[in-house]
Amino acid sequence: MSGYNFQNLRVLICDDSRQIRSLLKTFLNGFGIKTIEEAVDTNQAFSAMQQFDPDLVITDWNMPPTSGLEFIERVRMGGDSPNPYVPIIMLTGYTELHRVKQARDAGISAFLAKPLSAQSLYKRLVAVVDDNRPFIRNSKYFGPDRRTARGGEFMGGERRNRPS
Amino acid sequence: MQALNAADDLINEYQGWAVDDLETLRQQFLKISASRDVDKKEIAEMFDIAHEIRGQGGSFGFALISAIADSLCKFIEGRQQLSDPELEVIKVHIMAMKAVFHQQLKGRQKDLAEQLTELLQALRNKVNLNASFSS
Repeated sequence: MSGYNFQNLRVLICDDSRQIRSLLKTFLNGFGIKTIEEAVDTNQAFSAMQQFDPDLVITDWNMPPTSGLEFIERVRMGGDSPNPYVPIIMLTGYTELHRVKQARDAGISAFLAKPLSAQSLYKRLVAVVDDNRPFIRNSKYFGPDRRTARGGEFMGGERRNRPS
Repeated sequence: MQALNAADDLINEYQGWAVDDLETLRQQFLKISASRDVDKKEIAEMFDIAHEIRGQGGSFGFALISAIADSLCKFIEGRQQLSDPELEVIKVHIMAMKAVFHQQLKGRQKDLAEQLTELLQALRNKVNLNASFSS
């Protein structure tokens, strides 16, 4: 696990499980990341977004009574969002295809299925750093271009407007 | 290396609080079992606990726990009520998780996981099928 220097990354972790937060933090420390903020729910995470200004957000999905999905939509589409472009990794035990699509349609940058491992987390970090997809805006979506997930160049006509 | 050791420490601590989570699940199960008028909110709460266990098990070295909790989540998700046979299915899942901790079945346990997953799926299917015939 070398070749990337993550040392200066500022990471916000949002998960209601103290244990998962600790494990994430331990792995991130292992990758050289020292500036980490934790949030136990999405409201706290949104406040942290404003104060902490993260370079990357890692969020859980299921955090009753709040949802990571709504949090992502607020970050991407909300008028009060401090950084709609921030890369977001969705870390979740939900692995069904329709859930992955739901997360993609909310505007995630990467999907990371639990169980969590240092290797899988590292791969997602690399994927996010290397991600050069443009952001797309339409009336229902703002986030990374979802078409590249299917691979290859899109050959059809351009229907969506890119943000200026 | 320090980080790896710290991760190992966390993994070693897992069983302690996982047993607490399992007990929370069991208490929720007992609460629902004792009630004749099951609230779908209570079932959703039970799902949330099982979902949490599903995510944590494999992350902390107990893949079997995740496999059993995954089966349980699939069985519970979206249910509005629970019949006695359905409660029995949930009980089997809880007992299986207790056995995993009791036997210290860490790691992937590939063969056992496959057998257990098949068994639990067969059990879920049987109860679901019986329920569809009686409804």
